[in-house]
Amino acid sequence: MKPRIWLLPATAAALFLVAVPRAPADEFYNGKTVTFVVGFSAGGGFDTYTRLIARHFGKHLPGNPTVVVENRTGAGSLIAANYLYNQAPRDGTVIGNWIGPLVLQQVLGNKAAQFDGRKFGWLGVPTPDSGVCALTKASGINTMDDWFKSKRPIKIGGTAPGSTTDDVPRLLQTALDLPMKLVEGYKGTAKVRLAAESGEIDGGCWAWESIKPTWAKGLQSGEVHIVVQTIEKPNPDLKNVPLAIQYAKTDEARALLNIANGPYSQGARPYTVPPGVPQDRLELLQKAFMDTLRDPEFLQDAKKSQVDIDPVDGPTTAKLMAGLYELSPALKAKLSKLLIPGAQEKM
Amino acid sequence: MVDILDACLQGLIQLFTWKAFVLQLVGIAIGFLVGILPGIGGPVTLALMLPFIFQMTPVEAFSFLLGMTAVTATTGDITSILFGVPGEPITASMLVDGHPMAKKGEAGRALGAALMSSFVGAIFGALCLAIAIPAVRPLVLSVGSPQYFMFAMLGIAFLASLTGRSVVKGLVAACLGLLFALVGLDPISGTERYTFGALYLWDGIRLVPATLGLFAIPEIIDMAVAGTSIAKSDVGKIGGVLQGVKDTFRHWALVMRCSAIGTYIGIIPGMGGAVSQWVSYAHAVQSSPDKDRFGKGAVEGVLGPGAANHSTLGGAMVPTVAFGVPGSVSTAILLGAFLIQGLVPGPPMLTPEARGGHLSLTFSFVWIIVVSNIITTAICFLFLGKIARITQVRSTLVIPFILLLSYIGAFAENNAFGDVVVMLVFGALGWVMVQTDWPRPPLILGLVLGKLAEGNLFLSIDNYGLDWLRFPSVIALFALIVLGTFYPVFQRWREKRNKPRYKQLAELADHQTAEAAPVSIWPSIFNLFVVVLFAWALWQAWDWQFRPGLFPWVVGFLGVPLAFLQLNLDIAGAVKTIGRGLLRPRDQQATRLMRETAKISAWILGYFVAICLLGFSIAIAAVTFLYLKLAKERWVTTLALTFFAWISFYGLFAYLLHVPFPEGLLFAWLR
Repeated sequence: MKPRIWLLPATAAALFLVAVPRAPADEFYNGKTVTFVVGFSAGGGFDTYTRLIARHFGKHLPGNPTVVVENRTGAGSLIAANYLYNQAPRDGTVIGNWIGPLVLQQVLGNKAAQFDGRKFGWLGVPTPDSGVCALTKASGINTMDDWFKSKRPIKIGGTAPGSTTDDVPRLLQTALDLPMKLVEGYKGTAKVRLAAESGEIDGGCWAWESIKPTWAKGLQSGEVHIVVQTIEKPNPDLKNVPLAIQYAKTDEARALLNIANGPYSQGARPYTVPPGVPQDRLELLQKAFMDTLRDPEFLQDAKKSQVDIDPVDGPTTAKLMAGLYELSPALKAKLSKLLIPGAQEKM
Repeated sequence: MVDILDACLQGLIQLFTWKAFVLQLVGIAIGFLVGILPGIGGPVTLALMLPFIFQMTPVEAFSFLLGMTAVTATTGDITSILFGVPGEPITASMLVDGHPMAKKGEAGRALGAALMSSFVGAIFGALCLAIAIPAVRPLVLSVGSPQYFMFAMLGIAFLASLTGRSVVKGLVAACLGLLFALVGLDPISGTERYTFGALYLWDGIRLVPATLGLFAIPEIIDMAVAGTSIAKSDVGKIGGVLQGVKDTFRHWALVMRCSAIGTYIGIIPGMGGAVSQWVSYAHAVQSSPDKDRFGKGAVEGVLGPGAANHSTLGGAMVPTVAFGVPGSVSTAILLGAFLIQGLVPGPPMLTPEARGGHLSLTFSFVWIIVVSNIITTAICFLFLGKIARITQVRSTLVIPFILLLSYIGAFAENNAFGDVVVMLVFGALGWVMVQTDWPRPPLILGLVLGKLAEGNLFLSIDNYGLDWLRFPSVIALFALIVLGTFYPVFQRWREKRNKPRYKQLAELADHQTAEAAPVSIWPSIFNLFVVVLFAWALWQAWDWQFRPGLFPWVVGFLGVPLAFLQLNLDIAGAVKTIGRGLLRPRDQQATRLMRETAKISAWILGYFVAICLLGFSIAIAAVTFLYLKLAKERWVTTLALTFFAWISFYGLFAYLLHVPFPEGLLFAWLR
């Protein structure tokens, strides 16, 4: 019988296949490219965070992959979220960054959101946005008491429904029955600021992290002040500013303000991978994400960019988002009337 | 006072530390390239370069970034003039008269005029930055939502009534632009307007692909049909550059006025170069005694936009520096650079260093704009003769590259494939508009200003009810609109009356020869199509709520009768021509034109299909190769140019910029 030489390599190959069923996660990224997909255009807030993270992310993943950033803009980052869920490769080489409130939109029945928030792999959030309302001195409102007593509706500048600038004031107004008129349609928070300075409106509500550097002058001179925080725990910079939740009288009010704190603050700028990424690789990415955000070199860059870092990890973010799917039908109906345009008559 | 002069001088000296200067040169080099290429605009490049400034001092960082931004418009002008393809969104108006000049063989003169007026505009804007900073607060804060709305209307009314020979056509084109601006999701009411259920259309029709389509595609077709080089005639010496420089000084007042327009529009946040260029173009037309020359290569049509799109940067820096509200897209990103450098916009930027401010840095911004413009202008003048010679290269060698730039340019700005489709649709529209003698600039301005007008109208109403209509500034702007619209009509009427009889007759004769073309039913059919389009848009909008519905209703109710009026004018004209026996039979020439047009259209569409099926990378190599080979170029030329096209595409866009080009469908199916 002739020795079957071909068996040798075949056996070796078979053994190899058995021994190495697939590349372990820590070798997977060797020579690969990891792509961050940002739902907003280059130069904006989301893009700034992502490019900062991307600069340092590669060195915290085994195999040190090349990291690049892509801007897939459109429909308030909905295009990026849909792309990530339905089209992006599911091997952990694509990481998305889009606005958290989109998950709430999907829960409330926005048909254009083609994903299930529970199935994404959540890497975490670099920092919660501390929602606050800033009013001008000219508005005459210095405290929440002034606001409650105001005879005229206080004009708050908004951009468009779905964003913090509009949804958070709406939640606040409904929860606390504040005299308020939301003027929507400003193109970005810089325009809201400008309109407030010119006296067209009284102020606006969005993240303290963005107000602090961009409206520094107004804050210093006392032309602008922070009247209320729409979050759970006060921001360390704003120890003396009251929380909206302190004024909530009913459970419904608390539930509404809890929404303002959830996707609009804690989960406002999440990083996700598509559904179906192997669990070990997801964990690897979650760890790399947190390692990056604690990297001293990264923190130095972040400080230079005046970008706040206070990371929320992946599992926590996942829990927050999954919680939105457990809301009571009554609250859902209320929220959808409040936050989804078209579901309500215009004010 | 001594403080300020000292800061001014310090600002200049700081630029010439070797590191800052080298970085400025690098910035200029990048800006140079970016400006020439359509699609990757100044803002995107700025954003991509932001990470590099972490290690730099403020002066170095701004030498780099501001130097880069300052020159993109200059080289963008060059692309617009030479190829009829806007190199930057803010240089689109340059091609309306600049490219016809290149075709007449006056590329050198057009470039000279563009460069010189740009230079003057840039310096003007920079000086305004230096002077206006202390006075800027009231200037910016005086413009609220009502004034924005009136500005937008002013811009549209001006351009519509000024460009082209027919006021009605201009107005209809403006209405078309406004209609296109309405496409998308109205986020406030959640109403989808004319989106056909496509998520891509939620954000509306983007400016860059629309401009590329409207202007570049007809140019490509025209060039292919003519079969000559870009310059159809050679006016002896290709230079003419000096002539262009002289033109700048001959029309000195116009250049200064347009610089002022650019600066002012730059100062108003949210308007920027995309608007200022057109407004100053309209002004150039309006202030000229002979409006018929425009669109056919009038040098004033180059000088105006050239000055304005450069002075805008200086203007836009003013509110950015003074209180952190960016005046344009580019300055919005520069604001990010401020924050990275730990600088807080506002009074500290205007306080001398001795008292803890950054005044000398602010002055260095002024100097950076000045110095980088001097350098760029000098370099351009050195090579201008060579650059202009491109217009003499035969079309078969140029067309594949313009097609390449158009397709990549349309895609790369937003990495959206839908933009490529938009470019083709607008390409078809643009070609028909050229054939039927419709002005395209009002359409583009309508597209730019439509959203601004609508958004600010509702902000005005929400904030002030109807009280804003009684604001003095609003009334003044309204008067200006009425004046601006009717003055040209009056002017034309007066000219006609004052002209000697023999001149009138001569013109009439001219007109008749011009009309002695074969009467075609196509213009009327296009016109009918426009009427139907407006009617359809109106019908669609019928049961929308007030807020999303108001603008569609107004545009529809204006568009339908105006387009119908134009249809009648068209038919009446045709009947008159036939009646006078001026009908010219369709000849062989016309048949050849049709064949050539069909051929190049097939190439353009084929390119698109190839991109869909094979992806950008292979399609570019394949189409470029086939086009050159079938145009009977030699093997060496074909292979070398194909390789050049592919490598510049791959190296720059795919490798360096990581533009996420989609995979070809064919490969997706095979997997």
